[in-house]
Amino acid sequence: MLHQQKLRFSTTGRGTYNITQQIAETIEKSGIKKGICHIFLQHTSASLILCENADKTVREDLNVYMAKLVKDGDNSYTHKTEGPDDMAAHIRTILTQSSLSIPVYKGKCDLGLWQGIFLWEHRTVPHKRNLAITIMGE
Amino acid sequence: MVFQDTIELAAQEKGATDITDLISAIVLDSRINIGTCQLFVHNSLSSLLINDTADEDTKQHTVDFLAQLAPNCDGITNIIDESMDAIPERMRAAITQTSISFPVNRGRPVLGTWQGIYLWERTTQPKPRKLTITIIGE
Repeated sequence: MLHQQKLRFSTTGRGTYNITQQIAETIEKSGIKKGICHIFLQHTSASLILCENADKTVREDLNVYMAKLVKDGDNSYTHKTEGPDDMAAHIRTILTQSSLSIPVYKGKCDLGLWQGIFLWEHRTVPHKRNLAITIMGE
Repeated sequence: MVFQDTIELAAQEKGATDITDLISAIVLDSRINIGTCQLFVHNSLSSLLINDTADEDTKQHTVDFLAQLAPNCDGITNIIDESMDAIPERMRAAITQTSISFPVNRGRPVLGTWQGIYLWERTTQPKPRKLTITIIGE
């Protein structure tokens, strides 16, 4: 059995957005009880992560860490078409990932207690982000 | 339905090579209409990336940044043979991906407008690279 669906999210700028609930609802809608949920983000300046969902300061610190690691507006970049955050956003995406595969068990995401699914927006201005979700199983 | 094929890519120059069209053709030949596709590269001196296709500079900046995260061996400015660049390349393998996956719909990869699939060849002595493509769906 296979279920494929698109979701769209609006971001307000750089940061992490908890999408665990929306993914759970998609799995429930599929009727699939056991299998794999594949989540794919159709962008190169935003990415997907699994991260702790208990304390939001974890994700605030991730933002601080990433900003230090990949600096906006580095003078060595020639790709500046959309601003100083543009090339840094592409690198931040490469250092994380464009897809996640999560087991489905008893019709739910089989995540750890403190695992959440987050969309990480790397651009500093609001964007609309498209996800393609494919659930396979029985 | 499961489709699996192994392809050998001719040796590429050091850097990122766009293999989107090649992979899309294989997905179409699989005759799988809807599902997910996994690509796996069988070595640790090259990686798979999903990166921006809009500007040629983006891929060069990305590989330059990733390379400087794992600098070459201290005191060695000339690469003598493959074993000399192997250690930092193993580190670069750990911060990128040996496999990527994406959805398939209507017999095509479901990529965003500006997403492309790249093989990042990281060795100074490129060789032909073996890739396995596995598509699961219906």
